[in-house]
Amino acid sequence: MKENVVSATVFTLLLFLNTCLLNGQLPPGKPEIFKCRSPNKETFTCWWRPGTDGGLPTNYSLTYHREGETLMHECPDYITGGPNSCHFGKQYTSMWRTYIMMVNATNQMGSSFSDELYVDVTYIVQPDPPLELTVEVKQPEDRKPYLWMKWSPPTLIDLKTGWFTLLYEIRLKPEKAAEWETHFAGQQTEFKILSLHPGQKYLVQVRCKPDHGYWSAWSPATFIQIPSDFIMNDTTVWISVAVLSAVICLIIVWAVALKGYSMVTCIFPPVPGPKIKGFDAHLLEKGKSEELLSALGCQDFPPTSDYEDLLVEYLEVDDSEDQHLMSVHSKEHPSQGMKPTYLDPDTDSGRGSCDSPSLLSEKCEEPQANPSTFYDPEVIEKPENPETTHTWDPQCISMEGKIPYFHAGGSKCSTWPLIQHNPRSSYHNITDVCELAVGPADAPATLLDEAGKDALKSSQTIKSREEGKAAQQREVESFHSKTDQDTPWLLPQEKTPFGSAKPLDYVEIHKVNKDGALSLLPKQRENSGQPEKPRAPENSKEYAKVSGVMDNNILVLVPDPHAKNVACFEESAKEVPPSLEQNQAEKDLANFTATPSKCRIQLGGLDYLDPACFTHSFH
Amino acid sequence: MNIKGSPWKAGSLLLLLVSNLLLCQNVAPLPVCPGGAARCQVTLRDLFDRAVVLSHYIHNLSSEMFSEFDKRYTHGRGFITRTINSCHTSSLPTPEDKEQAQQINQKDFLSLIVSILRSWNEPLYHLVTEVRGMQEAPEAILSKAVEIEEQTKRLLEGMELIVSQVHPETKENEIYPVWSGLPSLQMADEESRLSAYYNLLHCLRRDSHKIDNYLKLLKCRIIHNNNC
Repeated sequence: MKENVVSATVFTLLLFLNTCLLNGQLPPGKPEIFKCRSPNKETFTCWWRPGTDGGLPTNYSLTYHREGETLMHECPDYITGGPNSCHFGKQYTSMWRTYIMMVNATNQMGSSFSDELYVDVTYIVQPDPPLELTVEVKQPEDRKPYLWMKWSPPTLIDLKTGWFTLLYEIRLKPEKAAEWETHFAGQQTEFKILSLHPGQKYLVQVRCKPDHGYWSAWSPATFIQIPSDFIMNDTTVWISVAVLSAVICLIIVWAVALKGYSMVTCIFPPVPGPKIKGFDAHLLEKGKSEELLSALGCQDFPPTSDYEDLLVEYLEVDDSEDQHLMSVHSKEHPSQGMKPTYLDPDTDSGRGSCDSPSLLSEKCEEPQANPSTFYDPEVIEKPENPETTHTWDPQCISMEGKIPYFHAGGSKCSTWPLIQHNPRSSYHNITDVCELAVGPADAPATLLDEAGKDALKSSQTIKSREEGKAAQQREVESFHSKTDQDTPWLLPQEKTPFGSAKPLDYVEIHKVNKDGALSLLPKQRENSGQPEKPRAPENSKEYAKVSGVMDNNILVLVPDPHAKNVACFEESAKEVPPSLEQNQAEKDLANFTATPSKCRIQLGGLDYLDPACFTHSFH
Repeated sequence: MNIKGSPWKAGSLLLLLVSNLLLCQNVAPLPVCPGGAARCQVTLRDLFDRAVVLSHYIHNLSSEMFSEFDKRYTHGRGFITRTINSCHTSSLPTPEDKEQAQQINQKDFLSLIVSILRSWNEPLYHLVTEVRGMQEAPEAILSKAVEIEEQTKRLLEGMELIVSQVHPETKENEIYPVWSGLPSLQMADEESRLSAYYNLLHCLRRDSHKIDNYLKLLKCRIIHNNNC
């Protein structure tokens, strides 16, 4: 039974629906409010779009409520805005307040509601287009012609109180042109156009917008015909100016082409080049420097064989050997007084060349008292390149191997400028010293004499510089301390090559020969009055061979392969230890014994240190 | 140049400079109008022109900032429904149409504008701080917020000057609506936080438009005598 009722109900409904469908009647579709606009911020209108038609007459109603209110209102005016619109008058319009509205579509079959729309009048402002656009061509007599356009704001907009602010924009174009020429006019209601094509028909339009809102539509176009005699007065002037300048340019170009270089030289005279007397550029190009430089009057440049003028370096000689020498002498000769004089308390190396002459002169005098026991500390060997060389006085200083020797018999190392008579020219180590001490067989006496003289000289020089035993001791100690350091043994170009305090004598490097051998000239030329001239200035000899230069200022000397017997060295070393220097001498000896074995060369029972090797070990 | 005369010239120039500096210290940055409408109008005109320019600019920025925020974070999600009665300045008796605006007297109108401006100092400050502290802070929005904060301060200064000129006897009334939306800006729930930002930017856009409109009204009323 129930089943029958149900089926009957369903059948009835379907029949009803079928009837309705056949009739085409449905409830209305959902409407939609699609646009709201306010032209003046005092009223606004909203428009909706109806939904699908149900086939029956449909009533629409718009209801709204405002922000902060709960009461629902209905649209006050459905007519003013046209069909499917709602117009809100002044009394219903509030700025800065949200309206919540919706439309209800109703017909016999049913009704449907639109979605809620949230509207704030502040943001829906769009004015009407400006009115009464007038355009005319104005051609004042004294001024340029122009197009003058004027318009008025749309109605119902309150500009006077400042409630509404309008901004305008105009556009124009020739009738047949494709692109518009747009100009922003601000808040003014008139505008001038100056650049126009004469004889053409122009279209002009204007539109406006609120300070914050949408642009209005363009006003209807206004046509204007530009007369044919609309000519710019400026054009003629510009054309004539252009022609004139073109003519002038042509004249200039022509003149330049013809005269060309002479004009350029007239305007820009050539700058005279430098003139050097005797300078021949061709010689320079050929590369013959000698001819070139000789033409300039420069003799002997670059120096090839004579280094005299080039090298003016002084070597300082350690004076500690004087003490040893003196002590030796004192053993044999009770002239104790000579001791202090030999030691030069001045530890500073910067004595300079000016000191050396006096030094040499004084030193040369001293040894006279003890000629017999003087060793010639300088070993002179035959130079490999027999050239004139100078004596090298400060032997003691430059040789590492000399250090123990110095302390043991340091006085021997006094700066005796004796060597000039010795035919040997290379000297650099203890063996050499010993050699010198032994002296050439031909003139040992002379050597000794001269050595003695030199010792005297040096001692006197030292005495002249500073006095006192304390100074003497100081110098010795300083010398010892310095010997512990590196490079004093080498022959640097500096004034304190040995770090010692006792440069008793200075030597001038006379020249450097091709093999790197140093020719030394004792700096004694100023003392012409000295009776004893331990050396002959013209007879210089080479004493050392420079194997290389380190650190730009340190000469690495190599021993002469023909080192002589140095037995005497040992002997002298044993004899001499002065009380003052003994401990330190032994210390230094120990230092030297500690040098790498490769540096030590046994020669005749005597330790020989290769200076180059020694130097390396220091670094 | 005469070498002999140069020390004298230098000395006289220096003297002039020093005297100018000393005198300038006594000059106020803006000329005060002791009285006389004609004299004051000129200066007031400049003040109003400047104020209107600033208010116009501030609203443009606020509008752009709101649009960018909505487009990026909240578009189509119905956040506008939560903006009903969400502005902290709604308690102020601000005119809502032209008639009401014309009925308010000039003095009250000016203090109203000043109150609105003052009430926005703190929200703008926190807006800048919070946006800056966001992860992946949107640069466009942040820069606008910073600029709005800056220009609002300037506008407030200008308004205070105008008030001191038009109504010098006005007592300083520091009462203004207080904003208390900071906690909601810092909420953990993203939806709530976005809603808070949306509300804040929505209210800022509205109030800046109000101020702009009011100033244009006042300018025409005071300077041009309702004949703009």
